[in-house]
Amino acid sequence: MAKPLVLSLDGQEFPVNLVKIDREKLYGAVEIEAVDEKGKPAVIKVLAPDGKTLIDKGGTALATVTEDGTSIDRTQLSAVDSNGEPVEPVPSSFSGPNILAQAKTEEYLSQIVKSVYALEPADGQALDYLRDHLSTGQMYSFPFSYRGGLEFDSAFVVGAGKDAFMVVGKQASLQYVRLNQAAVLDAAEEKEISADELDFELL
Amino acid sequence: MPINISNAKNRDAVVALEGLMPKRDVRYLDPEGRAVATRKLLKSDVTRDLDQLMKKRKKLESVSKALVKDDPEIDIEHFGMFLADTSRVYVSQRGIVHVVEEFEVLKNPDGTVREKRPRRKEPQNINTDFPLRWTGKYIKKDEAVKRFVFNSKKQLVHVNGLTFDFLYEMAKDLDKRNSLLLVRAGEKGERPIVMNRGGKSYNAFLEGRVKGDAYCLILHLSNMELKKPKELTNASDN
Repeated sequence: MAKPLVLSLDGQEFPVNLVKIDREKLYGAVEIEAVDEKGKPAVIKVLAPDGKTLIDKGGTALATVTEDGTSIDRTQLSAVDSNGEPVEPVPSSFSGPNILAQAKTEEYLSQIVKSVYALEPADGQALDYLRDHLSTGQMYSFPFSYRGGLEFDSAFVVGAGKDAFMVVGKQASLQYVRLNQAAVLDAAEEKEISADELDFELL
Repeated sequence: MPINISNAKNRDAVVALEGLMPKRDVRYLDPEGRAVATRKLLKSDVTRDLDQLMKKRKKLESVSKALVKDDPEIDIEHFGMFLADTSRVYVSQRGIVHVVEEFEVLKNPDGTVREKRPRRKEPQNINTDFPLRWTGKYIKKDEAVKRFVFNSKKQLVHVNGLTFDFLYEMAKDLDKRNSLLLVRAGEKGERPIVMNRGGKSYNAFLEGRVKGDAYCLILHLSNMELKKPKELTNASDN
């Protein structure tokens, strides 16, 4: 059994299991099949710049290189922040309680979403206290790292109906633009909408 | 990327749509304190993969012996070369093919096939003769965040003085309403957004923020609701 994530709100702790949710689990998936002119199956492969080398899945790798193009082992690298100061590694969020802080909707809307999880009670402990707070429209956040690493992502705990979700992502580099910051290019009837009007089965 | 969008008065303009990247505070340095970069390289090609090795040797035991003895899986001249400007091609038994017929196989969440149909490649619809429509359908931000997952974001930016005023007013209006606006595409203004030909369809919502004489207009793209899959809901109910 996976180790639960412990959330802490107002001094109360809630161990939860994370269940990853994606579009495929909600609506299904679309797979592309192809056949050639003779009706034989065709599959996509990567063609190298030489025009003849064909590469299958797993046929490429990423390497870290220095300024002069020499490959360098990652263990030789040091991580620094934007000021050039060494970065202290962060622990996994599963290693201790995670204190929930109230969050604002605009902070949530400013993040680029990486993963969505449903929060399920672990160890038979109810989430009623947390769900009650979420149902009043509260939203919480905390720094999150699944396995530990160099920096935290931001996790937002959001309620939807009776359920609790955790949405993990990174803050986007949003920019307030002024008149002199122009980019270079290469009357409707008002009404409130119901979310149920929207079709998400966009297959 | 240009985007043609209309405002509440049904006036349209072509402005810039820019991608939004996550803030990155961490970078790596080599022992001399110089920045490093990541490059893609060739690890193996189709002439040396397991299928090809099996064709010559038939048994896995023979392949494993050959791997130890001769390194038939490695092309010492090419493997490890940096790759840039690669392309994706279809390959059949006859080699690279240029004419293919594509089908979409629609699968249910349980993996069963729902439908198989010829592939439809919808053209992009964000910069066409029909501007994205200001539908006038608003949803409060607090409500939207509980209903949708915003998988991707873009930012709208003006390209001249006129479009600054155009976008600033949009942002101001939406900021005041504290709401997201549903944006639609197509001639009738009822289609979801498609950014690239054959790309995914998204429900798009516009958010506006203003700070003094500056604005921030964000296009939130969503193709997923914030809800549990049926199997999980049923398990919870039981």
